Amino acid sequence: MVTNKLVLLVEDDPADARLIQRAFDKAELDIAVTRLTNGDDAVAYLDGQPPFENRVLYPVPAVVILDIKLPRRSGLEVLSWLRNQHYGLKRLPVVILTSSRHSVDVNRAYDLGVNSYLAKPESPADLTRLAATFHSYWLQLNESPDVQS
Amino acid sequence: MTKTPGTILLVEDDPADAALIRRGFEQAGVLNPVHHITNGDKALGFLAGVNEYADRITHPLPVLILLDLKLPGMTGLELLRWLRQQRELRRIPVVVLTGDEDSNTINAAYDAGANSYLVKPGERKRISDLVGKIQQYWLALNEPPQLVMRAQKPE
Repeated sequence: MVTNKLVLLVEDDPADARLIQRAFDKAELDIAVTRLTNGDDAVAYLDGQPPFENRVLYPVPAVVILDIKLPRRSGLEVLSWLRNQHYGLKRLPVVILTSSRHSVDVNRAYDLGVNSYLAKPESPADLTRLAATFHSYWLQLNESPDVQS
Repeated sequence: MTKTPGTILLVEDDPADAALIRRGFEQAGVLNPVHHITNGDKALGFLAGVNEYADRITHPLPVLILLDLKLPGMTGLELLRWLRQQRELRRIPVVVLTGDEDSNTINAAYDAGANSYLVKPGERKRISDLVGKIQQYWLALNEPPQLVMRAQKPE
């Protein structure tokens, strides 16, 4: 039985994605990470559109990690789409993880309803620590909403 | 010169819980001043900056709100819904910290715009550990928004 919680990681940079994935691995966390590389795929996945219509293979994640700069649809556009859904999906916790600390991006993300905004640290060691803190907060401590109803 | 750390607004009507939460922040080495308010109406007054809270120097806007839901007067959810409609305040991160584990309440809190929802531990003393994790995440790791200042308001 798969009991691992799923994190949907939307990150176009392969090096960053690898570092984040490795950070989760290193922290020996009991989670599964599914990675997508662009905003359109993120919307299709969350909406259960082809090729992601099978919810057994592509379950709704416990939390979404979104980069801002993404091909096709930006992370902020994905966030805006999500928060405008008319069913429980709109409650899904979203954490922005990006290299931008620009206040314009930070403020816009909060205005659109992001749950939290994290800046990518420079060093892999710091990223590993971030992954551990992220995991213990969002997947262990925080009470998740019901996104199916 | 070091910048003064931002205020944490604690909205909590239970004095025992409030004392434990304060102690938790002290134990975590948090230097941010904690302003404790015991009911929803007063919390609204603090956030709106009216009456006794009109002076933003002595009563600055908080960088983080810890919000209980069951409060005398205005409830936590009502306060949260109001907050998210205020142009100057709507971005302030709000962490719900309550005893209510009901999924309908959890959903309603997210729908009202809560950033996170935490349940008070059954064993009261463990609330200090929880507060340590709140510090670690919301004060150390998270990038806070900038609040819209009055002066920037278009005429």
